[in-house]
Amino acid sequence: MTDPVLTIDGLSVRFPGATAVEDVSLALLPDEVLAVVGESGSGKSVTALAVLGLLPPGATATGSVAFDGQELLGLDEEALRRVRGARIALVFQEPSTALNPVERVGWQIGEVLRAHGVKSRQARAERVGELLGQVGIPPERARDYPHQFSGGQKQRIVLALALAADPDVLIADEPTTALDVTVQAEILALLRELQRGRRLAVLLITHNMGVVADLADRVAVMRDGRVLETQDVRRLFAAPSTEYARELLASVPRLGRQGRAVRPATEAAPVFAVDDLVVDYPGRKAALDRITLAVTPGEVLGLVGESGSGKTTLGRVAVGRLGAASGTVRLFGTDLAGLGRRELRALRKRIGVVHQDPAASLDPRRTVLESITEPLDVHRVGTPATRVARAEELLEQVALGRSYGSRLPRELSGGQRQRVALARALALEPDLLLADEPTSALDVSVQASVLELFAELQEAHGFACLFISHDLAVVNQVADRVAVMRNGQLVESGPTGEVLTRPSSAYTRALVDSVPVPDPDEQRARRLPTVLTSLKNTA
Amino acid sequence: MTELKAQEAQVKAEPDRRPVRRNGLTHGRGLVGVVLIGVIVLLGVLAPLLAPFSPQEQIEGANLLGPSGTHPFGTDEVNRDVFSRVLYGIRIDLFICLIAVPAGALLGGLIGLVASQTGIADVFAQRAFDVVLAFPPIILGIGIAAITGTGVLPVVCVVIGAELPLFGRLVRTATLKVRELPYVDAAESMGASRAWVLRKHIVPNILDSVIVQLALSASGAVFILSAMNFLGIGVKPPEPSLGGVLADAMAQLGSNTMYAVGPLLVIVVLVLGFQLIAQGLLAARRGGAS
Repeated sequence: MTDPVLTIDGLSVRFPGATAVEDVSLALLPDEVLAVVGESGSGKSVTALAVLGLLPPGATATGSVAFDGQELLGLDEEALRRVRGARIALVFQEPSTALNPVERVGWQIGEVLRAHGVKSRQARAERVGELLGQVGIPPERARDYPHQFSGGQKQRIVLALALAADPDVLIADEPTTALDVTVQAEILALLRELQRGRRLAVLLITHNMGVVADLADRVAVMRDGRVLETQDVRRLFAAPSTEYARELLASVPRLGRQGRAVRPATEAAPVFAVDDLVVDYPGRKAALDRITLAVTPGEVLGLVGESGSGKTTLGRVAVGRLGAASGTVRLFGTDLAGLGRRELRALRKRIGVVHQDPAASLDPRRTVLESITEPLDVHRVGTPATRVARAEELLEQVALGRSYGSRLPRELSGGQRQRVALARALALEPDLLLADEPTSALDVSVQASVLELFAELQEAHGFACLFISHDLAVVNQVADRVAVMRNGQLVESGPTGEVLTRPSSAYTRALVDSVPVPDPDEQRARRLPTVLTSLKNTA
Repeated sequence: MTELKAQEAQVKAEPDRRPVRRNGLTHGRGLVGVVLIGVIVLLGVLAPLLAPFSPQEQIEGANLLGPSGTHPFGTDEVNRDVFSRVLYGIRIDLFICLIAVPAGALLGGLIGLVASQTGIADVFAQRAFDVVLAFPPIILGIGIAAITGTGVLPVVCVVIGAELPLFGRLVRTATLKVRELPYVDAAESMGASRAWVLRKHIVPNILDSVIVQLALSASGAVFILSAMNFLGIGVKPPEPSLGGVLADAMAQLGSNTMYAVGPLLVIVVLVLGFQLIAQGLLAARRGGAS
């Protein structure tokens, strides 16, 4: 067996008043991808930061981090700098903040080269072109600024930056989390290619089991600052040895898995319908372009698409927050065009809304009970006493219990906040629920329980739902029908099972194929080439 | 699955949920500020009981005496007790602060709220603020005094004038910021009216920054009104005011130093006290936000 390039032994990281990482031991072999997975707060990112001595002030690290025979922990800043970038490179989640917006990308890569001893301007320019070529960016674009690139391209450039000094180890912290799924697929392919070509050792930090299945050779599962198990990727997915890993894997929604039982389509008048809808934002091309769509009573319509596809815009139209440039919008049979504020408010009484970010969608100064009674207060339903009773009943329904009523949002976890948001949305017994990415800010196990709750409530209350999500697997689990959007246009729509298994458009096909399957064998068998070709055909 | 659910349901209650205002005033700098201001306020309120002489009383044979047991700050050039004059001076200064700062805050805040709601009102308000801000407070004071004559009124007007744009801009910006937050969007989506959103979400959430500004403004107001009284465009002599007493003392620095130091000390403590309160509140707010 070869010696590991990076050995973490008994690493503990303490913040004042809390321990973030406790007794973590990992060994990264040359030429392997070791994934560290875990949910938020598991300590996976802190571990990565500790390796390079990048912990925030106040944190103390004990134990040992050995790289190539050298102890990194406790090394002075000067010595650490010689290791960072040159020997161990780092790639972060958000590509747009990793690049300096006022400098050309070529210059930025050149700076790294200069810092690592490439003196001649000519040699630097050549090397920059070479690096950009390797990450799939035309070398002549070295003269462009970061804002001239898309998110995926920026992440490619960040990779070029990381690889500029020819490191032995790459630490990638959620490298594809901020990206759309088709772009993620491309970046994963690139990472794999670079790793193979350069025989890099990669420490991959991620929460996404699909990404793990795609890239990793070995996996370490972390929780509450500890490593629970380290396994070969195939063995982990086939037979996890810890209960937690088993539950984590079970929580991951899967595309292939049978979703909800499809209910027969009703002939009833739709609760929400748009016909030939066009929405413009000033000075830009149409945000929504000739959309025709309807949600029938009791039906869950999943609206999927990548960022900028217009799905959130359509959601805003549904609650009357955004007017149509042309076409009609009907809510419960009423045409929204020309409706006064008062009439619109009366219609909104019949809609519940759940936002993406549960931390921001609850007023930080209002207690849980006050938040849930707000819709009842606004529409003056019942007496203050009956409103409180109703709110308490809703708290029970979302499995929180009345004792939560007096808490403030900051005293709740993300999943609990989203349950409160759900309770608030249901307070008025709405006929239509608008859920905009309701689970994308949540950890996968929490997401699983919130989705379960959603399905129960939908069953019990029978509301129709416009469920907006970028996550096909989530939509597969909850939706009766799916509508796929791209660039403000409706690509296709139909029963969930049909659209996601036998899509009629090439774009949907590419979208479905891009979702990494949380199964190493399956994912490796089906991965990229097909996606790329199908994408190119649609572009 | 069950284990994960249990974990999610775990209680994460923070024991401390007192409002930021109270927290900021009961610890560290804020507490020091409260004590300083409290002492001065008490001195002012209890002036009739504490002052050994009437502020206007001319004591026979006591011309420009130095500090002593009977006259802690000595006496002035017309035989009055400086300590008593300073105590009564606190009353008038605090009275102006108490009227003018909240009035400026209320008026400015209302203008800011209206400005945040309609574009055209916003343009008018912003330009009006620019005009007011273009005049330094003292110049503004001289201008107003030229019309109304000297007295309490021009001082109150100037303090209000100086606070108006500050609170107007603060409330406008804070409102625009809060209005974009998802919980306001959530309220509007459930059919809440504009008035409801303002009352239930926006005002409570911008109140903290307004209160910090109140403390800062009080500190600034003490400074402005002392300067105006010092220059003689404020409170009319022989009515005592801190700035007025200080102005009279300037000619007598050689004879009785405490004549000048006494009122100056009180002004310094007031400015500092309000500043400390503002800082304490700000620190508590930052701590509470995370």
